[in-house]
Amino acid sequence: MCLLPLRPRVIRLIRMPARPVDAGRRTCSARALSPAVTRKDYILRQREEHGRRALAVLPVHYPKELLTAFGVLAVELWGPPGPPRGEGAGRLQTYVCALARNALAFLASGGAAPVGGVLFPHTCDTIQGLATLVSDLGEFDKPVLTFLHPKGPPRASAHTFLLAELRSLAEELAEFTGRALEPERVREALRLHQDIDTHRALLLDARRRLPLSDRELYEVLRRGEWLWPEDHLAELRAVSASLHAEPVQKGVPLLVTGYVPEPADLLEALGRAGAYLVADDYAAVGRRLVRSEEWFDSEADPFRLLARRYFLAPPCPTRSADPGERMRHLTGLFERSGARGVLVHLLKFCEPELFDLPWLRSTFAARGVPLLFIEGELEASLSAREVTRIEAFVEMLS
Amino acid sequence: MKALAIGVDVGSTTFKAVVLDGAGHVIAYRVEPADPRIEPQVDRLLDELQSVAPGAPIGATGYGRKRVRSGRPLTEITCHARGAFAHVREGGVLLDMGGQDTKVIRFGMDGRVEDFAMNDKCAAGTGRFLEVILARLGVPLANVLYETLSAGKAVSISSTCTVFAESEVVSLIASGEPVAGIVRGLHQALASRVASLFHSGRHPGGRVLMSGGVALNAAMVAALEERLGRTMEVLPQPQLVGAIGAALTVLPSAAGDIPEQGCGPP
Amino acid sequence: MNLRRAQYELAGRLVGPLVLALESWQRRLARRPRSSRPGPFGPPLQATRKLKELMSLHYYQGRFAQGAVPVAWVTSGFPVEILRPLGFHAFYPENHAAICGVQRLVPPLSDAAEAEGYSRDLCSYARTDLGSLLAHRTPVGRIPRPDLLACCTNICQTVLYWYRALASHLKVPLVLVDAPYVYRSARPHLVSYVKEQLEELVQVAEGISGRRVEPEALVEVTARAKEGTRLWGECLAQGRHRPAPWTGIDGFFHMAPIVSLRGTESCNAYYRLLRDELVDRVRQGIGGLVEERHRLLWDNLPIWFWVRELSALLAGRGFNFVCTSYTNAWAEAGARIDPADPIGSAAQAYTHILLNQDLANRLAILGRLSRDYAVEGAVLHSDRSCKPYSVGQIDLKERLARELGIRVLLLEADHSDPRAFSAEQGESRLTAFMESFG
Repeated sequence: MCLLPLRPRVIRLIRMPARPVDAGRRTCSARALSPAVTRKDYILRQREEHGRRALAVLPVHYPKELLTAFGVLAVELWGPPGPPRGEGAGRLQTYVCALARNALAFLASGGAAPVGGVLFPHTCDTIQGLATLVSDLGEFDKPVLTFLHPKGPPRASAHTFLLAELRSLAEELAEFTGRALEPERVREALRLHQDIDTHRALLLDARRRLPLSDRELYEVLRRGEWLWPEDHLAELRAVSASLHAEPVQKGVPLLVTGYVPEPADLLEALGRAGAYLVADDYAAVGRRLVRSEEWFDSEADPFRLLARRYFLAPPCPTRSADPGERMRHLTGLFERSGARGVLVHLLKFCEPELFDLPWLRSTFAARGVPLLFIEGELEASLSAREVTRIEAFVEMLS
Repeated sequence: MKALAIGVDVGSTTFKAVVLDGAGHVIAYRVEPADPRIEPQVDRLLDELQSVAPGAPIGATGYGRKRVRSGRPLTEITCHARGAFAHVREGGVLLDMGGQDTKVIRFGMDGRVEDFAMNDKCAAGTGRFLEVILARLGVPLANVLYETLSAGKAVSISSTCTVFAESEVVSLIASGEPVAGIVRGLHQALASRVASLFHSGRHPGGRVLMSGGVALNAAMVAALEERLGRTMEVLPQPQLVGAIGAALTVLPSAAGDIPEQGCGPP
Repeated sequence: MNLRRAQYELAGRLVGPLVLALESWQRRLARRPRSSRPGPFGPPLQATRKLKELMSLHYYQGRFAQGAVPVAWVTSGFPVEILRPLGFHAFYPENHAAICGVQRLVPPLSDAAEAEGYSRDLCSYARTDLGSLLAHRTPVGRIPRPDLLACCTNICQTVLYWYRALASHLKVPLVLVDAPYVYRSARPHLVSYVKEQLEELVQVAEGISGRRVEPEALVEVTARAKEGTRLWGECLAQGRHRPAPWTGIDGFFHMAPIVSLRGTESCNAYYRLLRDELVDRVRQGIGGLVEERHRLLWDNLPIWFWVRELSALLAGRGFNFVCTSYTNAWAEAGARIDPADPIGSAAQAYTHILLNQDLANRLAILGRLSRDYAVEGAVLHSDRSCKPYSVGQIDLKERLARELGIRVLLLEADHSDPRAFSAEQGESRLTAFMESFG
């Protein structure tokens, strides 16, 4: 294994004197840009000032590094939350997950105006259907790209296929941007995204020592869904500068597994009830975090490196990871983090997640670890009933 | 001066409140339909109860628990477990069936909650299901036990949705099915859904207790016993269990036995 | 092992047919005299009796398969031709789940699955199958335990999760053929991915069966499978005539052999028999309905627990489903199959089945069927359990109505769980739809 010739690490653990906890007040300036800049403005500015075209991307797994290498701004669509609005609202049946329904309504009502196209990974039956719906029946006038990632165990045939899909996507991105593929830019992008993952891992693993509320932390983490990677890295660095030497979080620590932390007031409800998230297995966050740097090889073809990074991400049902492997990952995460309970935050009708439920239940029940199931449909806010469940769970663990 | 405590359960359908003495006996109680505007009702009833128990600490639970002045809010899960435990003094499972939600709560030998599950999204698994359809059938709740006992055979209701079930029942009546059989079928359908909720947790042995307004419906208790294959013990004053639990959490002494006979209002 | 093998063969060739003949004779004795009240349906198909025998025999033989021959549980879209030369007995959980659906057994079976933690929001076929396994309950006597689970994602990705759950409960190897979705046209690397997996499949299946795949045997089975789909297509094509000689609901039942017995001679022999009878009925002008007034297309799976009621409701007003996208899919599946290149052509054929291709393709097929079969209306079953089939239907409905000028109804139901359907509402929607034809 060769040493990674990364840029010098800027992150150092700053030994600060222990400060009284006031999780409500941010102790650093985490934002790289003024909070007044909306996502839409940001996208437009990236285009004007940096010549970066934006691509809307549906969840979950896609080669973001490749988009970065082409100077394409990825704008992930995890919703938006709230009831689907506009003409597109009724085009998907009510038994289709809210993510697809909301995304379709959003795209159909002009939400895609600032972006140049949409990318659909092969996440599940619904997103696969959404891609063809938008592309073939949607009268959508922008390019629709697809990324078919392999399902099942990482066999040789899956590797071969993934490489071919990556190359195919690269060709489409070349056409989309009018730029040729530059292998060195792919390598740079790979290193940049590894840096980002390393920082995110640092923040999540050192959660106890971070004087931020869950809402504040996740706000920063989730800005990575649409910020240009370098801007996101700058914000992550700023946050990690606020790390304390000793634990500062006082609430009941929980592991969360699920799709996406929406509605955001779930995080506030947890805080008010006296709990916080100490370990993360959200598809939007923890499940796309590559901790290991063993994929790197200065000799290897950049597409091989992309493929290696893809297979190194934590187990996720949308990549049809083996449930046994997934349970081992989760129990390991649970034990290392010192969590006391597990919050299973489900998106209603999400089949990949739902099929793993029996495993989750029996794995954690065998360890005597309580689980709380919150099932939502990406509502704009949490109902009083869900708040009661959270409070009861925290009362149970206190 | 005997230690006293007030417990308030501000539900979305009914408002329940109790005054407990130091030994945990109910010395006063109130049950009335809930006013959606919460505070005026809370204030009025607290005034009344505080005349019996001036200066007593207040424990609050239920949907409106955070709107109770100087009340210590705890969720109805914790309070129902506490109230049930006070009665049995051992671990068990409580099935609470209210007007708008159904809860299954497992508590341990110390009265602490070990696991819970709630159905509050779909009316079909709650008392509301029976209420709506019995009203449509024109069968008052008081007659329900008679109807189900006199039914030869239950008429199966397959719809899982209250609205669908209502139209299904209308069709069944139109095609001449006996009301008694339908009433029995409705109870079985509800018992089946409650059973799913019950089995979503693991409750192998121990006592199964019942609370909530629906526990007063003997036909429902029987249907549940049949479906779950367990004996259902209906707690005395089943609607007050949550309020009692809330009061117990603020009662200065550690006691909490509830005597066999219920106590009436002052 | 040899004894069991002998029992298996005997069950299929001798005992099974005898048992069925006996049961049939007993039924004839017990039967009440047929009522002389005329109904809307034409005379029943003679072939149906043979169909029942064929499928009953398959399930009967299945009772003796365990330990006698290698057993595979297979998804409907799996290239089963590759397993047949190795002597596998193929069991189709989807077909079994359909039987459970017809017999209204899904609620208790699903309850067993739900008690284990499987959500009711999952596909009802999966819940039925897992529930049947967990509750040890089935209407087909005895289901042989598999030595191999064979799953192809060309019909949906749900089967992947479902079969993985089966593999975990049964502790047997799972072979996955991941067939990625075809947007526009399949890129070469997609087809070669599937082909590579088929080659891996051969190795695994050979290992389990203890035999090698004989190339000639594979060619033969492939040719039979292709011929089977062609024959099935001929049967379906008779529906183009006026009146159609059978109903669309008949089609759903007679589809069983091409799914579960594809590649066998008994499957092809059956379809020749059926085709001949249908051709004969066309010649004589005998219709599936006594009076065919309106011709319809059905999209998506059937509502298994409501097929007879649906059929009667429509037939009563002279409406017939003369074509369905689902039955038609099996006729078209064989187009790319080539006995000269069994594995390569299987990769092409099984990647391109209906549900694995985009909505533009689906719309084109629905349009073609509507024109070829001269339909005046369509019912799109919005199947709660089947996302690949149901996503996009709202748009398809609008496009079909606009481009073909036909009336289209979107009917919300489920293919096998009666708890997700209100018969009262379904009936009133269909009745209103029929009334709109004037």
